[in-house]
Amino acid sequence: MVIHTYIEYMGWGAGGWGDEFFFGFLMTLKISLSAYALAVIFGFFATTAKLSKNIFLRFMAVSYTTVVRALPEILMVLIVYFTVAGLAETALVKAGFVDKGFQFNPFWAAVFALAFVAGAFMAEVLRAARLAVPEGQIESATAIGMSSLQIFMRVILPQMMRHAIPGMGNLWLSITKDSAIVAVLGAFSELLYTGYRAAAATKEYVFFYGVTAVLFLLITLISIAVIQWMERHLNRGYA
Amino acid sequence: MTATALSVRNIRKSFGEDEVLKGISFDAHSGDVISIIGSSGSGKSTLLRCINFLERADSGEVAVAGEIIKTHKAKDGQLSPSDKHQLKQMRARLGMVFQNFNLWAHRTVLENIIEGPVQVLKHPKKKAVADAEILMDKVGISQKRNHYPSQLSGGQQQRVAIARALAMQPTVMLFDEPTSALDPELVNEVVQVIRQLATEKRTMIMVTHEMALAREISTHLIFLHNGRIEEQGPPQLIMENPKSDRLRQFIGKF
Amino acid sequence: MMDFFNNVFSWLPELLAATPLTLILTLVAGIFGLVFGTLLALARLSNILILSVPANMFMFVMRGTPLLVQLYLIYYGLGQILPGTWVRHSVLWPYLRDGFTYAVIALSMNQAAYNGEVLRGALRSIPKGQIEASMAMGMTNLQILQRVRLPLAFRDCLPVLTSDIIILLKSTALVSTITVLELMGTARMIQRESLQIYEPLIACGLVYFAVVMVLTNIMRPVESRLTRFRKGNA
Ligand SMILES: Nc1ncnc2c1ncn2[C@@H]1O[C@H](COP(=O)(O)OP(=O)(O)OP(=O)(O)O)[C@@H](O)[C@H]1O
Ligand SMILES: [Mg+2]
Repeated sequence: MVIHTYIEYMGWGAGGWGDEFFFGFLMTLKISLSAYALAVIFGFFATTAKLSKNIFLRFMAVSYTTVVRALPEILMVLIVYFTVAGLAETALVKAGFVDKGFQFNPFWAAVFALAFVAGAFMAEVLRAARLAVPEGQIESATAIGMSSLQIFMRVILPQMMRHAIPGMGNLWLSITKDSAIVAVLGAFSELLYTGYRAAAATKEYVFFYGVTAVLFLLITLISIAVIQWMERHLNRGYA
Repeated sequence: MTATALSVRNIRKSFGEDEVLKGISFDAHSGDVISIIGSSGSGKSTLLRCINFLERADSGEVAVAGEIIKTHKAKDGQLSPSDKHQLKQMRARLGMVFQNFNLWAHRTVLENIIEGPVQVLKHPKKKAVADAEILMDKVGISQKRNHYPSQLSGGQQQRVAIARALAMQPTVMLFDEPTSALDPELVNEVVQVIRQLATEKRTMIMVTHEMALAREISTHLIFLHNGRIEEQGPPQLIMENPKSDRLRQFIGKF
Repeated sequence: MMDFFNNVFSWLPELLAATPLTLILTLVAGIFGLVFGTLLALARLSNILILSVPANMFMFVMRGTPLLVQLYLIYYGLGQILPGTWVRHSVLWPYLRDGFTYAVIALSMNQAAYNGEVLRGALRSIPKGQIEASMAMGMTNLQILQRVRLPLAFRDCLPVLTSDIIILLKSTALVSTITVLELMGTARMIQRESLQIYEPLIACGLVYFAVVMVLTNIMRPVESRLTRFRKGNA
């Protein structure tokens, strides 16, 4: 009897929440993937700035990583979300691209917010990985006349990635979990917000938050398998 | 009169207050083997690194086969190469062998050797591999062609590094203490290779602590002290008749 | 612009008043987390399957799901179940209607899982020789655990444990979503009441930043004192 109700709860279509959870699952993956890709870019620029000779760039990058890493993720996400959404709207309206009353797509504002936070951690991972590439190998590439771009692409990047993979893997795992924070914004239905709505509508809190947790666990499990495969793949040929 | 392969004029270099090179000049003619000796901290490595601009000198001039590397004074007072393209070409003509090998850890022996010819000299890969075969044979590392550096002994790694430098068909080879990071029993295999290069009349500049080797293969010996060339000349002459006390002391240690 | 900063500063007193609650949450969950984390690590390393398997699963689930989901599950879930049980009529009930209790439970469990994982690694990496030396002089297993394994393990992972405390401090902000008025909760309340979007959040950020910096700098000397035995033989 009870089991029967739960199966109905997870049904597809109007009566059940199965389809909502399915799309929530996809939405969580979509947010996480987009935010992660953007975080790699942020992290890359922040690292480059941190390792550059320009004092101003270094200062900006150090401020970014220090401040962001010292503040709660939820606070950063709220600040960046409101700022980005607000500023982008004003800018777009002013530039005349859109009409007054336009609302910035909350998806991208949320992605940007998550990526902004994760980028600071990514910067640390990438910096450590960059510094793990022995200086001598860069010198020997310089000495035979390779260009900076060639050195980066052929000597630094491949070796950096090997050192960066564990840290980048952990960051992926935490970005999938941090993506739950955007549920607080209530703007679109990723996994946790779906769980929240289902639980509130049915008063079946244990069941629906349980389902939410299981689905997040599923993401973790799949991710770990993929990360391990990549580590093995990248470590081929090393003693 | 043979052509001047490398000409170094009046190189000066300071690290902060500390003037490490106080105006060094010398010429290497084609086929010369010049050994640079001197106590630790006398500036030998710095000199080699200034020659291919891994380190920026404060002033001076370097010419490879008669072509001067174009430079200008940068804002920080150091000598900066003005023409990136020319610098790359010049570096390609100066083969450098490092004390710590500095092989690329993510590439196999063969890949390390063909990297420069393919990426910098733009040789077709096939030709680069064919050339590499000959070089691997020459330094006796052919069986290890598909090994990664971490799977090789120090002596083997240094022989690969020499092959890698030779693959660029450099005008001049620069060696910075090529044997001093090696266990004593591995020194000989590398010395053999260097000795062979000398008999082929390759132009080489070698910083070394191996006095016997320096004496045996050099055409010219430079003794560096406190950033200056304290004494130079044919090795036998200099070693048997050191004029300065410092060189006498230095040689006495061996 | 001036107005903006005046507004930001005007919220500081109220936020500072909420800071002790954030610190208490951190401290309480930090201590529970460490105690349970140690037990988890030992359970996980034991040969007894009914200890190691559940410990393993618990740690995996807690580390593999968002803290926010755990908070909701405990807050709303227990709120759904408990009223129908004996607890409803016990002396505990008044406390259990308060978000604070659930917050502590969830934060402690989460922290325990992370601490447990770190300690497990540290316990496993203790050089065999030091344990053999203890056995050779006739110490009991419990003695070895108390006098050798745990002290070594704690010191070994101290840097990670201290940085986990900072992470915990930041995580306490999440409990604002279950009605606890700590720093973050207070900032969001101000946000709603004053209709200022940025000012309360920025002020809140200033307080968090200050607290994190102070805490980091307090812990650093403690850390280096406890690990001084490592210097010199590094
Ligand atoms: N990047 C640097 N920054 C500051 N000082 C440096 C730097 N590189 C070298 N020096 C200093 O310059 C001096 C000469 O160094 P160099 O490495 O050229 O000596 P060397 O003759 O090669 O010694 P060794 O036989 O030990 O290799 C030393 O006093 C050294 O401390
Ligand atoms: Mg040297």
